[in-house]
Amino acid sequence: MLQLVVGQLLNGVIVGTLYAIIALGVTLTFGITGIVNFALGAFMMLGAYITWSLTDAAGIAYPLAVPLAVLCVAALGLVVDQLLFRFTRNNLINGLIVSIGLISVIVAVVLMIWTTTPQNMHYVLPGIFRVGGVIVPKMKAVVFVVLLCVILFTYAALTRTWAGRAAYAYAQNPEAAALMGVHTRVLQAGVAAYSAGLAGLGGALYASLYSITPEIGSGYILKGVEGAILAGIGTVMGSFAGGIIIGVAEGIGSIFFPSAYNDAYGLVFLVLILLFKPAGLFAPQR
Amino acid sequence: MRSAVLSLNSIAISLGFAVLAGTASAQDVVKLGEIEAQTGSLNTYGWMSSQGMRMAVDEINKAGGFQVGGKTYKLQLVNPDTQGNPQQALIQLKKMLEEDKIKYVFGPFLTNIYKGIEGYGKQHNGEFLLMGGATQIHYELGKPGNDYLMRTWNWDAGDSGFGTLMVDYLKKKGAKKVAMLMQNDAFGHVAADIYREAFKKAGIDFQENWFEPNTKDYSAVLAKIAAEKPDYLFPGYTDAVLYDIVQQATQLGLTKFWLVRGSLGPALKNKDYIDDYVAYIPKYFEEAQNTEPKVKKFIDDYKAYYKTKDFPYDQAPLCSSSCYDHVYMLVEAMKRAGTVDDIAKVKKALQSFTYDGLWKIRFDATGEEVFNFDIVDVQKGGKITVTHEQPK
Repeated sequence: MLQLVVGQLLNGVIVGTLYAIIALGVTLTFGITGIVNFALGAFMMLGAYITWSLTDAAGIAYPLAVPLAVLCVAALGLVVDQLLFRFTRNNLINGLIVSIGLISVIVAVVLMIWTTTPQNMHYVLPGIFRVGGVIVPKMKAVVFVVLLCVILFTYAALTRTWAGRAAYAYAQNPEAAALMGVHTRVLQAGVAAYSAGLAGLGGALYASLYSITPEIGSGYILKGVEGAILAGIGTVMGSFAGGIIIGVAEGIGSIFFPSAYNDAYGLVFLVLILLFKPAGLFAPQR
Repeated sequence: MRSAVLSLNSIAISLGFAVLAGTASAQDVVKLGEIEAQTGSLNTYGWMSSQGMRMAVDEINKAGGFQVGGKTYKLQLVNPDTQGNPQQALIQLKKMLEEDKIKYVFGPFLTNIYKGIEGYGKQHNGEFLLMGGATQIHYELGKPGNDYLMRTWNWDAGDSGFGTLMVDYLKKKGAKKVAMLMQNDAFGHVAADIYREAFKKAGIDFQENWFEPNTKDYSAVLAKIAAEKPDYLFPGYTDAVLYDIVQQATQLGLTKFWLVRGSLGPALKNKDYIDDYVAYIPKYFEEAQNTEPKVKKFIDDYKAYYKTKDFPYDQAPLCSSSCYDHVYMLVEAMKRAGTVDDIAKVKKALQSFTYDGLWKIRFDATGEEVFNFDIVDVQKGGKITVTHEQPK
């Protein structure tokens, strides 16, 4: 049993980083633009399809296909931000409606191009690591390491660079930040593109692990938002922890409770946390 | 004035002829409807049927149609894509019956789609014939108000059921414990009900495990199953989940699979990681193309019709339900019944003969299809053994 629990703990952490990368996008976008962008799930799905097309259809090597897919999705994120979200800044409801509408458009385009038939990418890195009876697929370990590095890089960039500190400053007090010379429009557009790119990266890595269908984004954005809320929206490393907590809750929950209700275990955990810490696990309590 | 009246009369007479001509033309066409998922995560059950039906209709029409009661008829196929969505299917069926006046509808293969159209179908009992492979149709055959139903696939249970023969095959391989991992949906529970009994009868321990239909990561439940050390894993019923399950199961040391629905694709993709993959395959086309001239011709015709070099070997076995043979069989039944309109007579004719096409197909007294099938056993490295079964 211990082996089973440890195995699922590890698996939960790895699966949780995929939730975390979306949660990070959600928290960054909300902090800078005041919008909860549900379309990040659709961007993730798009990243998965683009990666699959580049590797299995165009024959481009996976390590090259991933950054290309990320760039494509980030560029799209920038375009839709300038065309749509720019007009909904700091208006939660309008932003939400636009993001939901955008999901419909992206899903419709994906259906037209790739249909709803599931796509399976060739194995990028087959095989497993076995440590004391605990099994970890090699590709899952790679995905975890890449996502962890990206999250740490994001944290470092936000805390150690001028642009990052400007973003933090803007999130805390937009007027004061603007008075101090922060280019608000550039910052907001940059964060929108970066968040979309993060979602695209999540999708590109997802494609190496699971089959791809147009509905994958809806599941992951919900888990991402769950993770962000659980951590307390606005905390970068909290988003990472939030995603992992959701992943671990699902993994461990499926061992002790019926696996048919896997998605519910993370939600139960979220409700329990919010009962005692309404602002989230890592946010400063008011 | 007189010339104006004459002109009006001429127009009226012309219109009358036009209407009559239109009516005559409409009577020369037998419309066939089809409600199947041609795209979507459930399109495993529907895509090949729609491919085969198009071919059969085209072939029959190109051959000049068919004669019934001294009159030559051609076929017209109406086959929109349900995408596996019951609401879409219901809208499409309504249109077929109410606007297109279609009397013969093929499909659905999916139980969830059948459940979506069941109520509407019953309301129109006697007005059309629904020939689908959905498992749930089995339970409705022979019940009052369900004369419109025929089931176009082998039934799992019973002495000659394909599932029973599959369980026997597994027993001969020495399996003592089987773990099912199934979608927590309508068909998943039907499958559990059928196979719980079948395994119990065979003296094989049967464990039930479920997953949410949109699951992608099965690691947790598979790890739990692996800890119980079953001899075989009996995974979900669509390729959309089978690829993920088989890959993740082999990583956790579960390398033997037994399935009653789904293709060989997941086995072949993971051929170096599996030990055994036993699948119910209505026909193993890769082998049959070398031994059965009709199969060889079908494959060649398919490539020519769809202008492709590739034949969908993994999907072709599902042409055993509401597909190519069934169109020919329906035409033969209309000829034997001497009518294209009398549903009851055509249904009776369908139940009166064995059709020898890609499959040897007959319908039993309840209106359920019985056909020959293969059990395909894929072993490590991709070595394949085929066992041919002919249910009684």
